[in-house]
Amino acid sequence: MKSEKLQNAIGGIDPDLIAKSEQPLRKKREHRIVSAIAAMLVLAIGIGILFWNPGYFDDTVYAGDMLAVYPTTVPYAEYLTDPEGYDAWRKDQEKKWEYFGEAENMESFIKVTAAELLSGEGENIVYSPLNVYIALAMLAETTDGDTRKQLLNLLDASDIEVLRKRANTLWNANYNDDGLTSSILASSLWMNEKYSFYKETLEILRDNYYASSYQGNMGSKKFEDALHAWLNEQTRGLLSDQIEELALSQDTILAIATTVYFQANWHDPFSKKNTEKGVFHGTAGDTETDFMHQAYVGSYYQGGNFSAVAKSMKGSGNMWFILPEEGVSVNELLENQEALSFLGKSDTFSNQEAGIDLSVPKFEVSSKLDLKEALKNLGVTDCFDPSRSDFSPLITGEDDIYVGKIDHGALVSIDENGVEATAYTFLPMYGTSSNKITVKFTADRPFLFVITGEDGTVMFIGVVNQM
Amino acid sequence: MDDERIIALYWARNEDAIKETRNKYGRYCYAIAYKILGNDLDAEECESDTYFAAWNSIPPAKPTALSVFLGAITRRLSLDRWRRQYAEKRGHGETALSLCELEECIPAGKSIDEAMEEKELSAAISDFLRKLPQAQASVFVRRYWYFDSVSDIAERYGFGVSKVKMMLKRTRDQLLMKLEKEGFFI
Repeated sequence: MKSEKLQNAIGGIDPDLIAKSEQPLRKKREHRIVSAIAAMLVLAIGIGILFWNPGYFDDTVYAGDMLAVYPTTVPYAEYLTDPEGYDAWRKDQEKKWEYFGEAENMESFIKVTAAELLSGEGENIVYSPLNVYIALAMLAETTDGDTRKQLLNLLDASDIEVLRKRANTLWNANYNDDGLTSSILASSLWMNEKYSFYKETLEILRDNYYASSYQGNMGSKKFEDALHAWLNEQTRGLLSDQIEELALSQDTILAIATTVYFQANWHDPFSKKNTEKGVFHGTAGDTETDFMHQAYVGSYYQGGNFSAVAKSMKGSGNMWFILPEEGVSVNELLENQEALSFLGKSDTFSNQEAGIDLSVPKFEVSSKLDLKEALKNLGVTDCFDPSRSDFSPLITGEDDIYVGKIDHGALVSIDENGVEATAYTFLPMYGTSSNKITVKFTADRPFLFVITGEDGTVMFIGVVNQM
Repeated sequence: MDDERIIALYWARNEDAIKETRNKYGRYCYAIAYKILGNDLDAEECESDTYFAAWNSIPPAKPTALSVFLGAITRRLSLDRWRRQYAEKRGHGETALSLCELEECIPAGKSIDEAMEEKELSAAISDFLRKLPQAQASVFVRRYWYFDSVSDIAERYGFGVSKVKMMLKRTRDQLLMKLEKEGFFI
């Protein structure tokens, strides 16, 4: 029969597809795999005077030649079933290496923002340094004078060209959509069609930050719906509750929106049969919750008053769990320079290999932050003040432009990866750990976490204070 | 025993690897063979042959998913046997039915280009399935990789039988279009 060859070829399809068919189909909300992670930042630039919208403009949303072209990624293929596909994927991944090396230049930004944003009254907080960094770099492109200088200082860049190159490099180093890992960054501009913007600046944002520019009737439901749809698509609906509340009022001149969506499997998944109930001693009291357990060999760091262990992700970086010593609070840790440095460059710290006996709760944390006050505390003030701001590279003839608010929402969730049936494994090297230390690491009280990309870029940081 | 340890036994050329594989995946491999061959004796022989094929493949292979690695071997061995022994009796069982269904993925009057490597075809099908909604892809895999009956698939995923038939039909039509577009037929 003619179909025998087809029948044989089906035998060689990606094992991941076969493994997935073993798993029950999940409901939409549960469809996230292991680390379903998303962040978005919307930065609304308004004007000091409230405009009356005469309603002369129709609701068309258009982008013209201002649509960014995103890189394409060769899909991942299993070596065993498709060695040529695997080689093509590997070569494509290796091209990204030319973009590696900028991650550590974000360290000072991470140190100050982590200290400012994560210290709190006991709630869970998560943010994406990479996402915020790129949004603020875009904001810097639209400003000049002291307004820009304050942003460059915070972003630790000597001038706008250095910042532009760095942001573009970080973007490319961390963009990946190969089917093994999703690490998808996106940017967009939402412009009030009543104004003319400098095309040159929009082109810089399109070509270096992959930002598409959309123009429309600011204040109309249709334009707002378009923004919501774009954000929901980029964040895979994970932050839809927060996104629904974002408004584009008619006095908004322009809004910058940036997103990161990240999803990866553990290199060595937790076994579901080892998950059991345990008590998390949170800031709001004790809570019984599911703890995942695993013993493995991995990276470990012992700091002055904290310890940290890494769990690696397939085709990506690590997730670090950072636990203050007994009696030390997360807030105290966030005043400690060593701990802050560790947050800023976890992957390149002087870590050692250790046998790790890890117990960590399954969790989903999300938060919504207005970064305006935090940035003011960090010396970025002029862009929020219509009497001092300088948006001359963006628009002409308007003096009262200012940034109204900066909303940043993020969500991180982790679980075992439901791998009972798929059995994705990696080969541990037996016998090599006998001369290593063994660490028991139980995250049953408030802890910090860091998620890094393949090049070490800190993509997400969070604090888990309660379950 | 964890898969990493079983694979480590293969690499150490320790014959306990086969014992542990049988303990953990014997029933899984047998089930695949039985669905294809439809009788105990042949299914048991294909299950046993799977262990020896695995022994000869690891090393150098380092399977990332041992169950699927073994299942693929069983599937191939069982299909070979089915084609050798049951050629005249086709028309019975899920294997023959699924083969007939797959004929729909090949346009009338055309054949799959013999010069085309099988792995290219596998890669194209993988690519096609990855882009489908999860349910549609899994239904296809259950039917044509595992040879599950339509009613078993319906039960597994909580769908009606007619829904599964419709999903399979739609997927076959889409696959035909994809393979034709990519020049797999002559």
